[in-house]
Amino acid sequence: MFAYVIRRVLATIPVMALVALFVFSLLYLAPGDPAAVIAGDQATPQDVERIRASLGLDRPYLVRFGSWVWGILNGDMGVSIFTNLPVTTMIAQRIEPTLSLMILTLILAVTIAVPMGVVAAWKQGTLIDRAVMGFAVLGFSVPVFVVGYLLAYVFALELDWLPVQGYTALSKGFLPWLENLVLPAVALGGVYIALIARITRATMLEVLQQDYIRTARAKGAGQGSILFLHALKNAAVPIVTVIGIGIALLIGGAVVTESVFAIPGLGRLTVDAILRRDYPVIQGVVLLFSFVYVLVNLIIDLAYTLFDPRIRY
Amino acid sequence: MASATLLSPIEAAPPQGVAAAAPMPDVLPPVKPRKGFIGFVRRHPTMAIGGALLLLMVLVAIFAPLLGTTDPTALAPARRTREPSAMYWFGTDMLGRDVYSRVLYGARVSLIVGFSVAILASVVGLAIGMVSGYVRILDSIVMRVMDGLMSIPPILLAIALMALTRGSVQNVIIAITIAEIPRVSRLVRGVVLSLREQPYVEAAVAAGTRTPSIILRHILPNTLAPITVQATYICAAAMITEAILSFIGAGTPPTIPSWGNIMAEGRALWQVKPYIVFFPAIFLSITVLAVNLLGDGLRDALDPRMAKRL
Amino acid sequence: MALLEVENLQTHFRTPDGVNRAVDGVSFHVNAGETVAIVGESGCGKSVTSMSILRLIPEPPGKIAGAIRFQGRDLLKLSDREMRDIRGNEISMIFQEPMTSLNPVLTVGRQIGETLRLHQGLSKQQAEEKAVEMLTLVGIPEPRRRVREYPHQLSGGMRQRVMIAIALACNPKLLIADEPTTALDVTIQAQILELMKDLKHRVGAAIVLITHDLGVVAEVAERVIVMYAGRKVEEAAVGPLFNDPKHPYTQGLLGSMPKLGSSLHGDEGRLAEIPGLVPSLKKKIDGCVFAGRCPKVTDLCRQVAPALEEKAPGHVAACHYAIKEGAIAA
Repeated sequence: MFAYVIRRVLATIPVMALVALFVFSLLYLAPGDPAAVIAGDQATPQDVERIRASLGLDRPYLVRFGSWVWGILNGDMGVSIFTNLPVTTMIAQRIEPTLSLMILTLILAVTIAVPMGVVAAWKQGTLIDRAVMGFAVLGFSVPVFVVGYLLAYVFALELDWLPVQGYTALSKGFLPWLENLVLPAVALGGVYIALIARITRATMLEVLQQDYIRTARAKGAGQGSILFLHALKNAAVPIVTVIGIGIALLIGGAVVTESVFAIPGLGRLTVDAILRRDYPVIQGVVLLFSFVYVLVNLIIDLAYTLFDPRIRY
Repeated sequence: MASATLLSPIEAAPPQGVAAAAPMPDVLPPVKPRKGFIGFVRRHPTMAIGGALLLLMVLVAIFAPLLGTTDPTALAPARRTREPSAMYWFGTDMLGRDVYSRVLYGARVSLIVGFSVAILASVVGLAIGMVSGYVRILDSIVMRVMDGLMSIPPILLAIALMALTRGSVQNVIIAITIAEIPRVSRLVRGVVLSLREQPYVEAAVAAGTRTPSIILRHILPNTLAPITVQATYICAAAMITEAILSFIGAGTPPTIPSWGNIMAEGRALWQVKPYIVFFPAIFLSITVLAVNLLGDGLRDALDPRMAKRL
Repeated sequence: MALLEVENLQTHFRTPDGVNRAVDGVSFHVNAGETVAIVGESGCGKSVTSMSILRLIPEPPGKIAGAIRFQGRDLLKLSDREMRDIRGNEISMIFQEPMTSLNPVLTVGRQIGETLRLHQGLSKQQAEEKAVEMLTLVGIPEPRRRVREYPHQLSGGMRQRVMIAIALACNPKLLIADEPTTALDVTIQAQILELMKDLKHRVGAAIVLITHDLGVVAEVAERVIVMYAGRKVEEAAVGPLFNDPKHPYTQGLLGSMPKLGSSLHGDEGRLAEIPGLVPSLKKKIDGCVFAGRCPKVTDLCRQVAPALEEKAPGHVAACHYAIKEGAIAA
């Protein structure tokens, strides 16, 4: 078991290295002189030179990559072209809102979506099932910013129940924090709920047809025990896997949600960085999100054994 | 002899004392299988609805100039931010442009991006997946690269790619395609690997059939169904990603009306003039919904086993 | 009064291309302590009949009609709650696939204990103690260790023993065994049959044994019901049925069974087969259900469905041409 964990952790190193290489190379995939592209259309030759120097573009590619990776390993992601602040500092300032938003969304989505999928599978073919499936298709189809604006319009502008925009730090109290995050979390959760509800329903449908479910019924087990003890535990591995993969949706969606609700998080930082072509910041944020994504999925992989005794390492 | 009676054919008259079993009643109402167009719609309602809606959107995009629109880029500062009315069905935006015309023309960008990405990503993904599934030496390298690409959330990857290029519809298509390719490749590779172990393919190999003809005759036809289904989902995802990119200002250039652009422009005013955001949002959602419904229907029709699951 | 009386049982399923009349008018009874076998080819409605008794048929798309009286109470009229009190308690069931019939993510002890906790209100510890006891009873060595194990750690024969332990934990009055030995190795089959016979005497439960294996029937059953295409076509005590089958289908089934010591060479040793397939049950069948495959078929058979008639004392069959004992065949 321990040896397996070590092996899995080591196996993610090449993946992370590849991600780092991609993120680093993105700059050079673009046609033309990256310094000129970053500087923009109205830049003077001096601006281009300054950017070229600050990115170290005058040195050979591999040397630059090496020193960039070395920097990251030492907690240095470079300096923003626009603010001249270290990228790590900028990320540290913006991480709390994004982390809050994503964790709240995750909890909200899982607690809503899993029971939804279970009930839909149980009541397969009925109105409830159709409603859940209909909701799932809508969740996949209505983009996160559309849901965001709709929620903000109804619950903030028309009904005035919740704040329209902004973020309050958790240190200023749980309730104000929650008030500001409810609407963004619901908006961001839409796709995620749809995804989890759908995989839960699909897996549960398969599990509910298994012989051991028939055995449980023949024993006289109640519906609740059959669904949530006998079936859901068997369906856990695919569901948990999709929850992990779906985090990619949350990350992508957070960028947009933070723009809609004016939350000063990493998503906003990304958008601002793109509009300013602040490449070190873009690299830093993309790299960070990707690492988190890989890490979460690694943990989920390792957690399979908790759900299924047949999986042994 | 008893057996003689048993075997002798009886013509008209039954033997004496025939006991007829009482017919059993119907427990359930009889089912009438339906055929033809009505039957198709009843059996695949999602495909029918999705297909019809998508067709409608395609027609809107093609015939936008004939649907009572004006020049979607014509500025008219004198009539800025007019509410929807008989004159301006969806109102006008901050620069006085007719939102109705912009939304209708905007369908073109969404559909072009959606279809192009779906086709490009499928073709490239198919090629990579085939090579990976067939050439052992390349497989591990290609799949590691795909793993790496897949570790970057797709929207983020598209954003990062767009940050480097000048906004154009073509670049948007390329960026989203790159972000979607790994998923198709993985899908195709999985199908190829499982097909190669099918008895009929192994039999063909054993019989000395050449690899290209096995690929053409056995592998390719069997990957088409899952790829078609996947392509519709990619189309839907690409439309949303295009809108997101344009919305945050890293996508279609502002000179071309696209749903994401219209919403981006309406953003500043959305609390007072929500309709500018509202109309393109509805069109986008309905179009993506149509494609998703079509995809669900296709999946049900092409893969009954998978249909039962999802 | 019989322990179980099934009267005109009909179990139908709604499918996209018609109603499947899987079981269509089956009546039989089981006395306390008796072993009754239901035999027939696959797809003839045996398993559906057994599942219908415990109301394990999903409704919809299924629908059960008729009457199933257990100790005088019609099970089809009970609420779900009342039905759950009977399942696993007064009537329990063993299934064909021991490999897949146990829940892979729960320990053996928990799965045996679940029945006891549900029906006898035992605590967690008491249930585990009783589970160990049951494992000993069904002949599993090292029960204290096994009780904490998961099904994938057990062999097929052991899993079927666990299934039997689950089924017998609450001392049921009726045990329904659906092909309990089919999936097992021949040597294990004999052990499991032996175990069932032994436990039956100890617990005193009646058994309904569903099987297509006539060898098993001869070994354990007292009375046999032959089913074909969702209907009962013949019923008799084991001896008369094997020695003097009345229905051409039963004759065919017996003819397709190899006899010990018979030569496989020459015409006499040749195994007879019943040509053709079980008809689709999605269309209403006029006349005798076996007409399509019967070697003795006549126009009468194709037009008039034969009723079940007593052809000899305690021996009923549904065939126009089966000779009634005592009738004069001139």
